Amino acid sequence: MITELGHFALILAFVTSVAISVLPLVGLRRRIAVFAALAAPATLVMAGAVFISFAALLYAFIISDFSVALVASHSHSTKPLIYKISGTWGNHEGSLLLWIVILALFAAILAAGGRGMDAALKIRTLAVQAMVTAGFLAFCLFTSNPFARLDSAPLHGRGLNPILQDPGLALHPPTLYLGYVGLSMGFAFAVAGLIEGRIDRDWARHMRPWVSAAWCALTAGIALGSWWAYYELGWGGWWFWDPVENASLMPWLAATALLHSTIVVEQRGTLKSWTVLLAILAFSLSLVGTFIVRSGLLTSVHSFASDPARGVFILGILLAAVGVPLMLFALRGPRLASRADFDLLSRESGLILNNFLLTASTVVVLVGTFYPLALEMVSGARITVGPPYFDATFNPIMGALVAAMAFGPVMAWRRGTLPATRGVAMAAVIGALLLAAGMAALAGGIGVAGLAGLALLGWLACGISADIWHRLKPFSPGTGRRAAALPAPVWGMWTAHAGMVVFLIGALGSGLFQTEVVVRATPGQSIDVAGKTMTLRRVEARQGPNYVTETAILELRDGTDILAVMTPEKRFYTAERQTTTEAAIRPRLTGDDYAVLGDGDDATGYTLRLYRKPFVSWIWGGAGMMALGGAIAALGRRRRAPVVQPPAALQAPAE
Amino acid sequence: MDGNGTNGKGSRPGAARLAFLIPLAGFLVLAGFASIALLATLRGERDMTRLPSAMVGKPAPTAALPDLRDADGTVSAADFAGRPFLVNVFASWCAPCRAEAPALARLAEEIDILGIAYKDRPEDTNGFLATYGDPFAAIGVDRDGDTGMRWGVYGVPETFVINADGIITYRHAGPIDRRVLDEELRPAMRGAKIGVAE
Repeated sequence: MITELGHFALILAFVTSVAISVLPLVGLRRRIAVFAALAAPATLVMAGAVFISFAALLYAFIISDFSVALVASHSHSTKPLIYKISGTWGNHEGSLLLWIVILALFAAILAAGGRGMDAALKIRTLAVQAMVTAGFLAFCLFTSNPFARLDSAPLHGRGLNPILQDPGLALHPPTLYLGYVGLSMGFAFAVAGLIEGRIDRDWARHMRPWVSAAWCALTAGIALGSWWAYYELGWGGWWFWDPVENASLMPWLAATALLHSTIVVEQRGTLKSWTVLLAILAFSLSLVGTFIVRSGLLTSVHSFASDPARGVFILGILLAAVGVPLMLFALRGPRLASRADFDLLSRESGLILNNFLLTASTVVVLVGTFYPLALEMVSGARITVGPPYFDATFNPIMGALVAAMAFGPVMAWRRGTLPATRGVAMAAVIGALLLAAGMAALAGGIGVAGLAGLALLGWLACGISADIWHRLKPFSPGTGRRAAALPAPVWGMWTAHAGMVVFLIGALGSGLFQTEVVVRATPGQSIDVAGKTMTLRRVEARQGPNYVTETAILELRDGTDILAVMTPEKRFYTAERQTTTEAAIRPRLTGDDYAVLGDGDDATGYTLRLYRKPFVSWIWGGAGMMALGGAIAALGRRRRAPVVQPPAALQAPAE
Repeated sequence: MDGNGTNGKGSRPGAARLAFLIPLAGFLVLAGFASIALLATLRGERDMTRLPSAMVGKPAPTAALPDLRDADGTVSAADFAGRPFLVNVFASWCAPCRAEAPALARLAEEIDILGIAYKDRPEDTNGFLATYGDPFAAIGVDRDGDTGMRWGVYGVPETFVINADGIITYRHAGPIDRRVLDEELRPAMRGAKIGVAE
């Protein structure tokens, strides 16, 4: 009964979203006030219906209603409650519904809020958002109905892919979706602006918090996914350049560019058409990400449902959602051209450089992700482009970006002067030399690329510190006043940029100084790993709630002191008949000890993979700081833009 | 930065306008590409989801297996020669096998099914059949999974369609649900020249 209610609510939401896509736009054009005024309240109705629908599915999973096909094939009566709940979105249909929930949530927040926003812009933005929602609701209802019933209910259900039974799964997809879908708001703003033929500083001011929020969630979502891969897949790495990972990285890079170019529109009223294009591209890349994961076009370790028939529907959505706005952009974009009035040395130039590098890196990832597909089309050979490609292309671009990051924020708008940046430059150079030379002397054996990475780390860390020092002047009176006077976005920027420093410490530390030992060990044997000793005591069988394990008991010693007992596991999920690997990790600020148990028996020994990974947890700490910076920028109070443009400038491009 | 500031000078408005077409053109190229790849996937020319079915088109393995119902007897696919039949590989420890039990019971009214109890203890197999029904014309015991390997089984349950000439014409890996029954198995049985009573 509740399942049917959920299905009905979904249909209601679809009908409402179609109405919101059409009527308010007609209302604005034909000046029918009633139609135009419909947008906000109808959006709330649509969102309510979507929430009811999702709640119904959640309920079916919690009570293990195996007469619902989705529950039967993706849940199991013996599963812990938390994974029954997360199982709701651990499958294609449910995750699609979650996607729609977030679309509706954002639309509802704008419908209920959006104070101070131009009424017509708000109505158009809601209409565009409803179009996107309608597309996904149709996809859900017509190809992937989560509420389909079974003829006869099975006893237990077929379980959830064991690798997905993990706290990371409970959090990672919803967070990532918040980011993916959050970009739909930037998209809706951009298309609404194109429909209206008007993009101004006010438009940017209202769009920016949405972009910041989406970027924040996307950053956190990617970080969670990477963290999950690190401890759950047991391969010892944190980023694999897998198509699904790339699918989340591309929108992130585009959103990062968008975040920065929006600042230029908000502050200077220029770079409008580029920003609109980025907003469209960022969300398009989110859609492409969905498309990759669900169409079966590319194979990946992460994807959980692929069906080419559904791929056709998504391709249709993609064509409509990207093709039409780009056509609109080709027609209306030229009208958005704005006067360029800045020097080579200015904040504007810095942000354009930022955008150029981020766009280039997006293209590099796009090529690396789709090139194997293209090659397969041409030659029939199935290959993957691995880390070597990305190391050679993506890393240098990121290096240039990091180099520029130290200076961008120091530049003044319109006309920067060299003296203002001199202090920062000196600090950056000193930092780069100190760290690179210091590490080369201490550690040795670091390649040129590694030294360049270390130099950039020192460069950025000292550059940012010098900027903060310069702005706050901690040793002269009035520091508190100066700090309080700084707008929230500046604090957000510093937090996020400092997060980049922390991230680099983790990435370079674990990348350059990792120790890896693979051995076949019998019980009682000791292995040296980076100056510490691991002793395999025994391997024993253990019983979990819905799995049995082989658990290795490893003692980690530093000299004679026992630091920890590590217990890497091989789990066998009885219902699903699948084996997963659970790495044992001892995380510390200065680095992780990481152990994985492979195959073997007592007589011939067990395969063990043991790692020492210096500073690896800083990777996620840094990503967390970036996300926090995004949140500060999104939620913090901002000062109004200092100059209010005259109304004439709003109507026609200044030309 | 095509389409920004600098090209708004008005000297070459046509070129500036064209620049705004670049994103659309680029997208259409990519989308065309994805469409071709997707269509190829749909036509089955590049299928990543389906398992390689090396056994389809080959004669069914006829090695004899111990008979579950008669400790001294044996069963073999050769016993069914001359008429089409199904082979279902199952086990008591396999949850999806429980899910497909009703479908097999329905199929048993139309066609003989040879069951292969894969890596299972005979007493457990009997318990499973007592609980979920016994649709099988004969059941072979494959304790060590040797026969399963001959059939190219990668997991349980799996179902094969064998025609009157003893050739495997279809293989389904995974449980038989309503959709598989109607859209794949029955057409495959018809393909094996079996009159199927609907």
